[in-house]
Amino acid sequence: MAELHLFGQIESGCGFSERRLFCKWGLHAGAAWTLLAGAGAGQTQLDDPQVGDAAQWGHPLDLHLATKGLQGWPRLLLEVWHVDGWGRRGLAGYGVCHVPSAPGCHRVTCVTWRPRPTRRQRLLAPGGPELREPAAAAGAADRFRLRTEAAGTVRLQLGVLARHMGRFGVAL
Amino acid sequence: MAAPSVFLLAVSGEIESGEFPGFDDLYCKFSFVYGQDWVPTAGLEEGISQITSKSSVSPTTLVWNFPIDITFKSTNPFGWPQIVLSVYGPDFFGHDVVRGYGAVHVPFVPGRHKRTIAMFVPESTSRLQQLTSNFYFAFCIHNSAGAPERAPDPPVTIPPSLPVIRVRSQGFVTVCFNVMTKDLHKLGYDVGQGPGPQGLQQA
Repeated sequence: MAELHLFGQIESGCGFSERRLFCKWGLHAGAAWTLLAGAGAGQTQLDDPQVGDAAQWGHPLDLHLATKGLQGWPRLLLEVWHVDGWGRRGLAGYGVCHVPSAPGCHRVTCVTWRPRPTRRQRLLAPGGPELREPAAAAGAADRFRLRTEAAGTVRLQLGVLARHMGRFGVAL
Repeated sequence: MAAPSVFLLAVSGEIESGEFPGFDDLYCKFSFVYGQDWVPTAGLEEGISQITSKSSVSPTTLVWNFPIDITFKSTNPFGWPQIVLSVYGPDFFGHDVVRGYGAVHVPFVPGRHKRTIAMFVPESTSRLQQLTSNFYFAFCIHNSAGAPERAPDPPVTIPPSLPVIRVRSQGFVTVCFNVMTKDLHKLGYDVGQGPGPQGLQQA
């Protein structure tokens, strides 16, 4: 089996309507992939930036994956949430980004979106509508049902280390 | 000749400088955090820098230029070492309080890399605790001789299952790494090529 190591950080988030943000992340991959070591999901700290506008998370990632095939290449589903002064959580944005396939260090900028609230929802809810099944955002199948608007961007540093891919004739 | 089962990672470099608007007279401590399969074989695992201040030629940047040099051996890239930084400075009473914690993975692509790390401090949940927090920190890291003790290890590499931790990011530290590896390729690993995200050209 070929292996893939992912090292890096969910660095920061900026350009959202709020500044106090945290990010929940999860790894999604096809059936051929197995997570051998490392946490497959997590949550960053909540940052209130004092310098600049970007919420700094610096959340380390360390994942060890094994695979029998190339289909279902792993991707990270990111959910950015903001917390207001009263401690209420609201959704700031969803984003999906595939783990880079080329070995090496990559700086990845993931654009995010959120469901577009109707006028009534804008008045009533602090954060706007959220998806009931956020994992559905990780795939392409049901997106056509959504009406969304742009949110901010999440910056990640992703380092990819591959093993034995050459044995199977795979060029990355 | 039998195939190797162990690879080496040698890291050298400097903790260059820090940007902490509103704070001065800071020193920085570093340590390395790594997985179970990793063992440091040479060099210093921890260190404390000098206390540095802003100056007329550098009114916003604090310069440490603090060298790091360490070698690890391992059988598995999982748990790749991270450098953990803690920056401390004096409060109004002259006691050392933390001004930022931060961490970053040591790059795995051989070559020269520059990383800028965001530094954050834990935020208290109540206003009263915010006001008194500086006093508490000063109390717990001073021993009777008056010299600062080693503060507790910063929780920057916690597992992600803990509840939301509130922090305030208030600065950045720039670190330069020179990375060398041995036998990683012989074990079948492909690290890719080319400059890291911040480029090799930045000197």
